[in-house]
Amino acid sequence: MNDDPTADLLRGRLVRLSASSPEDISRLFVGWIHNSEYWRLMSNGPPFPWTQEGVRKHIEKEAEKEDLRNVFFAVRTLQEDRIIGEIGLDGISYARGESYVGVGIGEAEYWGKGYGTDAMNVILRYAFTELNLHRVSLTVFEYNPRAIRSYEKCGFRMEGRAREAFQREGRRWDMLHLGVLREEWQAHHA
Amino acid sequence: MRDSTELTGDLLRGKHIHLTAQDMEQAAQPYFDWAQDAEYQRLVEDGPPVPLSLKGTRQSNEEGWPEDDPCNVMFLVRANEDDRIIGFVNLDYISWTHGDSYMGIGIGDKTCWGKGYGREAMELLLRYAFTELNLHRLSLTVFAYNERAIHMYEKCGFKIEGVSRDYHYRDGRRWDLVSMGILRGEWMELNGYAVP
Repeated sequence: MNDDPTADLLRGRLVRLSASSPEDISRLFVGWIHNSEYWRLMSNGPPFPWTQEGVRKHIEKEAEKEDLRNVFFAVRTLQEDRIIGEIGLDGISYARGESYVGVGIGEAEYWGKGYGTDAMNVILRYAFTELNLHRVSLTVFEYNPRAIRSYEKCGFRMEGRAREAFQREGRRWDMLHLGVLREEWQAHHA
Repeated sequence: MRDSTELTGDLLRGKHIHLTAQDMEQAAQPYFDWAQDAEYQRLVEDGPPVPLSLKGTRQSNEEGWPEDDPCNVMFLVRANEDDRIIGFVNLDYISWTHGDSYMGIGIGDKTCWGKGYGREAMELLLRYAFTELNLHRLSLTVFAYNERAIHMYEKCGFKIEGVSRDYHYRDGRRWDLVSMGILRGEWMELNGYAVP
């Protein structure tokens, strides 16, 4: 935890969270989803040949809202200042003090090296100490053990399992539900 | 075992209620009336009740449930005896590739509570989802304090699959959100269909 309110809230050990232009993020995103492995770890929709123009329009439309119900950041490495992924809180409810979170490291060469975990730790600090939420939720596919380990390292606990929630490669898979409460996160980072 | 040579008759009509299109000309007034009932609102909505005018009620439903959206199906629940609107039941976020959908139900007309009308609407929606849309599973979420609903969902065949701890804050304390699901095979077995 940070005791200093003037410290850089959006900076972690390996990455920082920043804004990015719709132009940059749409170009990168279209590159990342050319890797269907990335897509099928991140989305349960079928891979779709998005154009950069289509993605850019979608991002611009979302950005117009600025209602703090959805907060999306680009994930940048501290070392090279390179955008390697994205992370966001979506469906924030201030009345309930709750939000979903989603993260994707699109640059495959950065997988398995702690960048996603670091980005998640930064956004949890933002969610719990700046937005003052009480809990953060996420869902993850049962065939993504690397992500599950990362989330558990950040303090998430397994809360449920939607049986046979989706179908890929000819069989059905469970969707796992994880959540972390503010006091658990505080204890985890004490 | 059901006779496989026959269809099930009117798919959307039960003994006491039937399901119809969401005609907002007629539904805006009952929706507006139910919204004045905080007990009902706090059983069906996780957001705080917001005072909407009759016009606002109508607009928000028309925008929230566009008729040309292939991933949402909204039915009004009407009493067979006088055709009056007593509630709604819906499928939302249908995933056609994975055969999964969320569902929701609300019986806003309190004179109909405790008579099995909600259960009947559920049974019709489940049959529609599993035998007409051919979905593989249905999901729902329910507030932990709504024990009556949880009991009813279990009677329909839903199983508790997870609990989001401390999900929302009401009346000065935090409450869990319960996630439930039912698979087509489970539903078919419960309802006397041959399970492939």
